[in-house]
Order: sequence, then C-alpha cells, then structure tokens
Amino acid sequence: MRIRGGIAAVVMMALAATAGTTTPGAAQDKTLTIGVLGPLSGGAASYGVELVRGAEMRAEEINKGGGLKVGSDVYRIKLVSYDHKALAADAATAANKLVFQDKVKYIIGNAVGATCNAVQTVTEPEKVLFSFVCWGTSNLGPDKPHSFRAMLSQWEVAEPFYRWVKEKHPQVKRVAAISPNDTSGKDTNTAVVKALKGLGFEVAADEYYERGTKDFYPILTKILATKPDMLDVAAAPPGEAGLILKQARELGFKGPKGWTAGVNPVTLVSIAGKEAAEGVWSPANINVKSDFVSATVRRFGEEYEKRYKEVPGVIAVANYAAFDVFTKAMQDARSLDTDKVLAALTQKPFDTVWGRLVLGGKETYGIDRQFLYPVVISEIRDGKVVDIAQVLPAALKK
Amino acid sequence: MSIDLLVQALLNGFGLAMVYVLVALGLTLIFSILEIINFAHGEFYMLGGYVTYYAYALFGLNYFATLGLAILTVGLAGVVAERLIFHDLRGKALNAFIVSLGLLWVMQAGAQLAFGVLDKPVPSAFSGIVRVLGLVISVERLVVTLSAIVLIVALYLFLRLSRPGRAMRAVAQDADAAALQGVNIEAVAALGFGVGCALAGGAGGLLAPVFAVSPAMGALPVVKAFIIIIVGGMGSLPGAVLGGLLLGGVEGLGALFMGSAAVNILGFLMVIAVLLVRPRGLVGGA
Repeated sequence: MRIRGGIAAVVMMALAATAGTTTPGAAQDKTLTIGVLGPLSGGAASYGVELVRGAEMRAEEINKGGGLKVGSDVYRIKLVSYDHKALAADAATAANKLVFQDKVKYIIGNAVGATCNAVQTVTEPEKVLFSFVCWGTSNLGPDKPHSFRAMLSQWEVAEPFYRWVKEKHPQVKRVAAISPNDTSGKDTNTAVVKALKGLGFEVAADEYYERGTKDFYPILTKILATKPDMLDVAAAPPGEAGLILKQARELGFKGPKGWTAGVNPVTLVSIAGKEAAEGVWSPANINVKSDFVSATVRRFGEEYEKRYKEVPGVIAVANYAAFDVFTKAMQDARSLDTDKVLAALTQKPFDTVWGRLVLGGKETYGIDRQFLYPVVISEIRDGKVVDIAQVLPAALKK
Repeated sequence: MSIDLLVQALLNGFGLAMVYVLVALGLTLIFSILEIINFAHGEFYMLGGYVTYYAYALFGLNYFATLGLAILTVGLAGVVAERLIFHDLRGKALNAFIVSLGLLWVMQAGAQLAFGVLDKPVPSAFSGIVRVLGLVISVERLVVTLSAIVLIVALYLFLRLSRPGRAMRAVAQDADAAALQGVNIEAVAALGFGVGCALAGGAGGLLAPVFAVSPAMGALPVVKAFIIIIVGGMGSLPGAVLGGLLLGGVEGLGALFMGSAAVNILGFLMVIAVLLVRPRGLVGGA
C-alpha cells in the first residue's frame, strides 16, 4: 500500500511554512524524491512506521530550512513509501516501483532481512544507494557496495550482550533462542548461538516460527521441555515477542529473558503485559530518555513524542541518522550522482544524532558499510525501559 | 520424550481448536444457506476483535457483556453485508467469490485506516494457570474454550429447536421446497449470513485478549476454518468439531517433532488426504 498522504501533507505544510523564506526565482522547484520501504502492516508494522517517521522528521527539517542545497541547486525533499508487509516478494515489487516508476536513486529505510535481499536485487545493479536496518550478514558485502546498515545488527550486539550476561548473571548457563523462520531470524539465532558457544553457554534450543504466528504454545512447550535458564526472543518483532513472553509465562517459565534484536519495547510491554515483560534485557534497544544516550538523541525523542504521541525506538533514530548522513554526503559530493555520493559517504565520519558516526564492519562483512555506535543494554522494569549498561561492539573498540 | 509432554502438546492443540470451529461453523452456515463462500469471513472475525478492544480494553465493559456485544455487532454487520452486497449473489459462486475477495481487501484496508496498523493489546480477562497431573492449563484459554463450546451448543440448539433455525436448515436442504412451505428465503438468507458472521465475531472477541488485535488478524483463522470444514465435511456441525480437534491435535503434536514451516503444511496434507479418500469430508453427507 502506498503511504503518501500523510507524508505529502507534511511536505505541503513544510512548503507553506517556508514559502516566504527563499528567494523568488531560485531553484526551489527542484524535487529530490527519496524512497522509504518497510512493513507498514502486519506483525512487524512498528518497524516500518518508525522508519517512515524518522525519515519524515529529517525531510521536514530540511524542507523547513529552505531545502537541501547540493552544489548550486536547492531541492525540496519528497518521500515516497511503500508497505511490503515484511514479505520479500512484495519488497521486490516495491523496489521496482521506486526505482523504475518513481525514479528514485536513494532508498533510505527498510527492515526485515529477507526483504533487504529482495530490494538489493534491484538497487545494486541500478547503483541506487540503499540504507536499511535489516539484520543479516548477507545484506552487506563487497558485492553490495551501495548498501549500508544504519543500525547495529546481531553480529555487533550478540557477543557483547552475552559477555555482559555471563559477567552479571552467572546463574545463566543454558539459553534457548527463538526467532522468525526467515533470513533475519536465522541470522540472529546464528549470531546468538555463536556468541553463546564462544562464551561457554549451553544452547538449550535454537528454534524458529513462521511470521504471523499467534499461538506459540506448541513451540514453547517444546522449548521449555529443554529446561532453559534464559529465553531469548532474539529476532522476534515486538508484537510476536510480546506474545511469546506472555505465553511462556502462562506455561510457567520464570527465568531471565533476553531480546537480542529487540527494538520496540513499548509495543512488547503492551502485548505481553507488565508481568510477562518484566526483566527483559535488550542490547539493541535504546531509551531516548536515558542518561546513556546523547543529548541529541534525547532531543530527537522529545520532538518525536510531541509529534507522534509515542516514544521512538532505535529504528526511528537510526533512520533519522541515516537520512542525515546521506543528505550530508550529497552536499559534500555537490552532486546527486550516486557514485560521487558513495565516495563522499565513505571518506569521513559524520556528526549525527548519535554523535560521531563511524562506518565499519570490514572484519565481519568484508566492507565498511555498517554504522557503528555504542551498545546500550536495557531492562524492562515495571513496563518501562531502563538502561543499565553500555558496552562497545568489538569493531568499535578497534 | 515423556508422556506428559505428548499430552501437553495435545492439550495445546485442542486448546483453541473450538474457537476455530466457531469460525468454521459460521463459514459453513453461510455456504449452506446462500451457496457462497465468504472469503471475507476472517474480516468479520477481526471486527469482533476490535469491538472487544474498544468495549472491554478501552471502555472497561464486562468481558462477557463485551463478548455479547461483539456477537451482536458483527451479526448486524453481517446482515447489512448480505442486504447490500451478497443479496443478489446467492447461488452465484464465482461472482460471490470475487466480491468477497474485494470485501476482504476493503475491510482490511478500512481497518488499517480506522484503527491503525499496529497490534492493539487487550488485557487478559482471566489470569493464572491450573496444574493438573503435571500439565499446565492457562485459565484464560480454558475460559475461552468453554465459552466457545457454549456458543457451539447454543448454535446447535438454535438450529434444532427454534423456528428460524429450522427455517435455515430447510433452506440449506432445499430452498425451493422451503419457499413452497412459506419460508421467507430473503429473511433466512440475511439471518443466516448474520448468524454466520456473529459466530466469527464471537471467535474474534474470544481470542482478542489471547493474541491482541490487528487489521490482518483474520487471515489465519479463516485458513484454519477452511481446513476444518473440508476435513470435517461441509455443512456438518459434528464434522466441524471433529475437524477442529483433528487439526489441533495434528498441529500440537507436529510442533514437537518438526519445524514450524512443516507443521503449517500438516493441515493442508490432511485436506489433500481427505479430498482424495473421502471428498465429502469425514462426517459430511453425500
């Protein structure tokens, strides 16, 4: 489904607000169309909603500031977004529409691993610069030079997270991981299992479910029969993670809970209920109100909450930062040519809402296309996210 | 693998089967009377979920009163849908198929616009678990299952004992003969569609606190309902119950031995097997 109405309205308002601030006759009529993809319906919809909102906020700021000055031209930014429902086939269709129908050269935002692979079959041959928050090793590599991950993935967070678990909660010996049965889920469980084995934990279960599952009793019965000390709802999106935790509690599980890829705890708490969500640790989420995040992230959170009446998760911040980095690179390149922008992107760090943002990941992916920033470990306490530790991904330590 | 685990798996499978039987009965009732397959049936289930969300979760109405409200509201919506959309499509299976597919998309998109795309949580009306001989039973699911059984029995009594129920059965058996006996076919068709949708609405209301509600929540129950109907036999109430229990049992046990993707296939394998061996279903008439 095409979600253009709200964004078009935002752009129109921004145009109206800035109508008197630009010089008549300047190049204000030029439009830069940027694509955003994501699941905007279904169990992973919260990911897509945050992606669109993060992009929308940065686009509006740029438009309100008079537009994006690239060389001697000034561009109004127009967003076009499509819902792919977290389905790879729909994602490929949406990417084709963006690239060949809407003629976009930049897609800033997408989530859910398998959909990223599908989108890349279109973006890489067409040299479309593509930023996403999908998790998985296959989404980054030397054969995909135009692709960037704007958020830390399981490969950056799993090891430092479980190192922290080992240090702070030595009673945890056996861990069960459950993820959706797709690229995202497989990659996350693989990273979790690798980290667990490397740190000397026992892997009690390494299980997968089909996206859209509502009744987790059957699979949880199998998992809980392995007597895990800790249950990691690894790559489950918030709605499904909430159901898993709720149903695990109903089946009598009382141990520690992790959410390695957890990024929207508000939704998780609302679905699971406070009791079932109590104590969930997550290394991928952030609390935009905490002292562990930068002042700029806190300001972003306030603005987001004022505008959407919801507290943003890490995806909104990540896509806002990605939008910022890409548009700054266009300005540095003084061109919209993606080869020139790509060169500008990889030349130096960018100051963003995260603070100084570094591109890394060559050790894991063979190419530096992973945005790096510190990992914050949070815990859900009485329905609220409380940050409890900060650890560095191995790549950032270097 | 212990016996306890096998029994627990079976119990898990049976746990919600009766709710899906409700959805299936609604679907088969509509088919029997109007001779159309309503592919938008899951969206009436979804409406029941949203009625529960607003009445129970937001406005704090009593859970069982909310359930009654969901049944009535969705039943009424079904009557309106029959009068406005399906009225002239009785017996025109292909036309009705296309129209109901269109209605499915319209209702889903309408729900996205009206209620938003994110899952909406409905607090559990009953919490806690019961442990019996080492088995764990969720009180919430127990109440849901018992409520579904009550609704199934109520439907059975309605169809057996009430005048409108008997009229529905008469139309389902032979609409022309029923009309000659003075049965108002138009009214029975509207009522049948309404009752069928009401059952879906009731199922949606029952499962709303168990799973949360979302615009796409009707997709899975309607697939299960089709499997149940085909396995049990189109138009058969005992067949639907049997089909539901079989599906629940197979899925519950299957999850212990195979991956989730394979488990999802089991239901369809059952359908293929039944269609090959006994096409009218396990309990369906000739």
